Parts: sequence; C-alpha cells; structure tokens
Amino acid sequence: MISERETPWFAKRPVSDVRPGDHGWLAYSGFEERDRVIGPFVQEALRTNEKVVYVTDAPAERLPGLGPRHRIDLDAYGRTGQLRVISRRDACLDRRGEFEPSMMLDTLAREVDEAFDQGFRAVRITTDYSWLVNRPGPPDLGRMLGCEHRVGDAVSPSTMAMAICQIDRHACPRDELNALRDTHEVLVEVNPEFDDGILKIVRTFEPDGLRVEGELDAARHAVFAEKLAQVSGDRRRVHLDLSRLGFIDLGGLHLLARHATGLPAGEPLVLDHLAPDVENVIEMVGWHRLPGLARGGERTLPDTKGST
Amino acid sequence: MALEHKAFLYRGIDDFLSVTVPYLQSGLEKDQAVIAVVREPNLTALKDVLPARDTPIQYFDSAEFYRHPVHTLRDYQTVVKQSRPRSLCALAEPVWDGWDERQTLEWIRYESLINVVFGSSGARALCPYDTTTLPPGIVAEARRTHPLLLAPGHHDGPSPEYVDPETFGSGCDRGLRFDRPRDAEYLPIEGDDLHALRTFIGERADKHGLAQQPARNLVTAANEVAANALQHGTPPIGLWTWQDGGDLVCEIGDHGFWRPGPLTGFIPPDTALQPGFGLWTVRLLVDLMELRAGWDGTFVRLRVHCSSPGAGR
Repeated sequence: MISERETPWFAKRPVSDVRPGDHGWLAYSGFEERDRVIGPFVQEALRTNEKVVYVTDAPAERLPGLGPRHRIDLDAYGRTGQLRVISRRDACLDRRGEFEPSMMLDTLAREVDEAFDQGFRAVRITTDYSWLVNRPGPPDLGRMLGCEHRVGDAVSPSTMAMAICQIDRHACPRDELNALRDTHEVLVEVNPEFDDGILKIVRTFEPDGLRVEGELDAARHAVFAEKLAQVSGDRRRVHLDLSRLGFIDLGGLHLLARHATGLPAGEPLVLDHLAPDVENVIEMVGWHRLPGLARGGERTLPDTKGST
Repeated sequence: MALEHKAFLYRGIDDFLSVTVPYLQSGLEKDQAVIAVVREPNLTALKDVLPARDTPIQYFDSAEFYRHPVHTLRDYQTVVKQSRPRSLCALAEPVWDGWDERQTLEWIRYESLINVVFGSSGARALCPYDTTTLPPGIVAEARRTHPLLLAPGHHDGPSPEYVDPETFGSGCDRGLRFDRPRDAEYLPIEGDDLHALRTFIGERADKHGLAQQPARNLVTAANEVAANALQHGTPPIGLWTWQDGGDLVCEIGDHGFWRPGPLTGFIPPDTALQPGFGLWTVRLLVDLMELRAGWDGTFVRLRVHCSSPGAGR
C-alpha cells in the first residue's frame, strides 16, 4: 500500500529552508538536479558556521558545491573540522565490506557530538544511497529502511542535526523508491528561481521545465520570460507544471505563444497539470489560437510518477 | 470568395420551409458543409422534411447557439475552419426574445459583424426573420445588417437599406449612455502590480454572488483592461465598481486619448500573437464590454449578469 500513497502530507521544502530536525529526501533525476540541491546545502553550512558531514567515496573537490569553480579552501575547512568527508568504509561498512546501519548511526552520532564541542551551531549530513541499490545482487531494502528509520529517529528530535538522503531516482524500482521516501518527513527540492510571494518559479527536472505557482501578470512577465528562456536552452523539450498557477493574464498567454513560436519547428511548449481557472481561459480562446502550446499531462502528483 | 449574407423575411412555417429546404439542399449539392441553426419549432420541422443523408446536415437549436454574440461569432468561425476546404452553407436564425434592450442592440450589431468576420470565407448564410412575430424594429435592422434581402413575392436581391459594418457599429455606439452612480466604489490604479486589483474585484464578485467561473473571468478581464491602461493610458487611472440591478459593473478609466474603431475587439484574431487578442478575449470573458473614448479619457466598462448563461462557457 505504501507505494500507492500520495504525497500531500510530506513537507516539500526548498533546500535553503531545511532546518535542524529535518530528515530530508532527494530523489534526483540527474547530476544537475542533485548539484542544485546539495550544492547550496553544503555551501550555506560553510558560510554560516555549520558543520558538513558528507559520507562518500568521492574526493571532496568532486562533490556538489565544492568543486574548483566555487573557490572554496577545502583544506582549511577540513582542518577546522567544519567539512567532514568520510569514506563509506570508515562510516558504515563492516569488515567484510557490507553496509552496517548501526555503524552509520554511530558515525553520525559521533560527528554531531563533536560538532557541539567544536562550537558549530548545526550539522548538515548528507549521503547518496544509490551505490547500495546499484551493487550486484538484490538490494537489501529492509536493511536500508531500518537504517533510514533510525536516522530519522536520531535527526528529527535534534536541535542541531539535519540530513538530506540522496538517491538516483532511476537506481531502483518505483515501489522501493517510494518505500524509502516514506521514511522521510521532508522532500527537499531546488531553491525557487524566483519568489515574490505572488509568483513562484521553480526549476523542474524530468521533465525539464518550470513549475509556475501563484499568479503570473504583467509586473512579472519579464522575470518569467527570462527563466523560460534559460530553461529552454540545450534544445530540450520544456514542460511547464501549472498545477498551482491560479491566475495567468492574457499577456501571459501571449508570452507563452510567442515563446513557443521561437522553438524549433514542431517542438511544442507543453503545459502540464492545468489548474481549472487557467484551463478555462485557454479553452475559451481556443488552443488553436495559441500555436506551439500543447496540453500535457492531467493533474497528478509528480512524486508518484517514479522512475520510468 | 465573398460572403453571401442574406436576410429572409418569412411569414409562418410553410413560408419558412419553402425557402430553407431548397437552400440547404443546394448546399449539399454544391458540396458545401451545411449547418442549420434554427429555433423551435422550425428545427423539428426541418428535420422531419429533410431526408437523412450520407453527408449530414449539422443541426443546432438557436437557443443553445445564440447566448452571447461574441461567443457565437467565435463558434461560427470554428465551424468555418473545421469545414475547410469546403465552404459553409449556414441557415442561421438568431434568437430575439429574452434579451433586454441593450442585449438586443448587441445581437443586431452581431448580424452586421458577420459581414466582416466572414467577408472572405466564401460562406453562404441565410438568416430567417419571422415577420409575423418579431417586433418591426428588429426586422427593420435586419434590412440594414444584411447585404442581401429575400422577402418572397416582394424582393430578392441587394438590400437597399444595407449599411457597411463600420458605419453601423458607430451608429450602435452613438446612443449609449455612460452614467456612473455616485456611490460606485473606486480603486486607484497606481503601481504596475495588479495583484491588489484582482483581490478587490474577486471580493466584489463574491459579495455580489457571482459563481466562481464568471467571477474569475471578470478578474481576468478587468486585469487585462487595467494592464492596457497602465501600458497605453495616461494617469490618473482607476477602477469603479457598482451594482446595476442584477449586474455587477466594473469600469476602468484613464485620461489618455484613444480612438478605437467601432469594430475594436469584435473580430476574432487568428492567434494570440495578433493585435486585438486581449480586447477580443475580454469581450468573451464578460457579458458585455463597452468602450467610451473621448476628450476626458478612455473608459472600458465590463458587465456581468448575476446568473450569467454566457460568461461561464
């Protein structure tokens, strides 16, 4: 039944709103999405006297937000203990190289305790579990679920620790993905591209595009056009998730149609999950008066789609 | 190809059938797409008389088709487009009862607009007017809005009283009154952010008891007119709302000088990219949009009936 469960009871939160006590979940569709979430998560910690604990076998300079172009002095952060990049072997593998949840918990508990003594005001924990399900042989889902429950139990009451558990959403079947997701209270997503309290624009991945929430009007056409142009590069098909768009002005429809006419021949701008008030206006003028716009998916909850 | 737009003045149902049946059959013979939009009991009588065919006639009840003149123009245009490459042969009988004086004027204007919207469509339209029941004024206007006139036994050819649509439209607007009650609520429009205006209209629509769909449509329409005023008008810009009987009225004014033509916003644009898309859509969204542009500024008045059959569609 768990895989059938829909998601409204989850808190969906942009990465910069993750707070101590949050046990967050990120099922990313690709490295771009991962880096746009984990990058800010890590960088904000280093900027604000918070400690980062990253369990990974990758070298620090290859991690999201820590690459050379960010010009971060990794050695200095390593020396002060603010940046802890811990290998899987040291963090959570037993002598035979098997994943050992209790060891992971001990590692995290130790790092959090130390952070308190070191004077950090919070600890940001993250690791990518894709390797566990990518290994040859059947993945040990029960073991992972048990671990995640216990991480949740450790993090949620904490006033210092927050965690984002990452997984490649294509790494395991949908029901397993949902089962893992359901051990988390917070779904973490990218920070909005724009949010002024009236209009919110959020980058989406898979499909590539934007989620447009609130009200789109003339005062906000310029910023919307700019974000739409940005996401439309790279010759990819762009979807707009309009499930939470309560209002679009007629100039906004004009803007969408004008954008669509600039796309390569035959490549539509897809409008997904139209809210009734917006759909009503489009139907009244007729889809054929909006050349290049295509009706996409009906209203569903994106997180129940899973991997394909 | 030019439009053939003919008023047919008939007396009683036998007279009606004696012309409309051969007319529709001639459309089928010429391989035109044939549509009959007529009132009851004429509709049932036609269906009884005309045999079923492989290429059927599309029948509609006028009571369903003629609810809002701007919508009806749009719907006929859709029929014309869907029929291509065939041209359209339409029997088109408007509804003249159940409208107030102001609404009747818009339906008369509608007949005149047909000449513009379908001017080059190659369509034929025969518009029956029942002279035994319709007020003489309605029949007199039909002679002015149809280039061709058929009154069996009396006349079959160009209508001597026909007036071109621009001139006709100007005439329609000349008699309009634009009084505004003193207790109308006023909202100045100052910044370029119309969020507060939408909230204001939404609240007034709720208070007035509008259903959600016409209320949302009014918000979209008022927002568009206000955005136009901000873009093209001259301050001060503001909005008034008041109730007029069962109607909710909303007027947006600025002090700029604009000279809209008598056809402004009536002609359906091909796409949203064409100029005029905004005002045409505003006309679709509300029951009535009126324009007044003069020395004291430009004023756009939007009117929604409380139990509106048209605005929600």
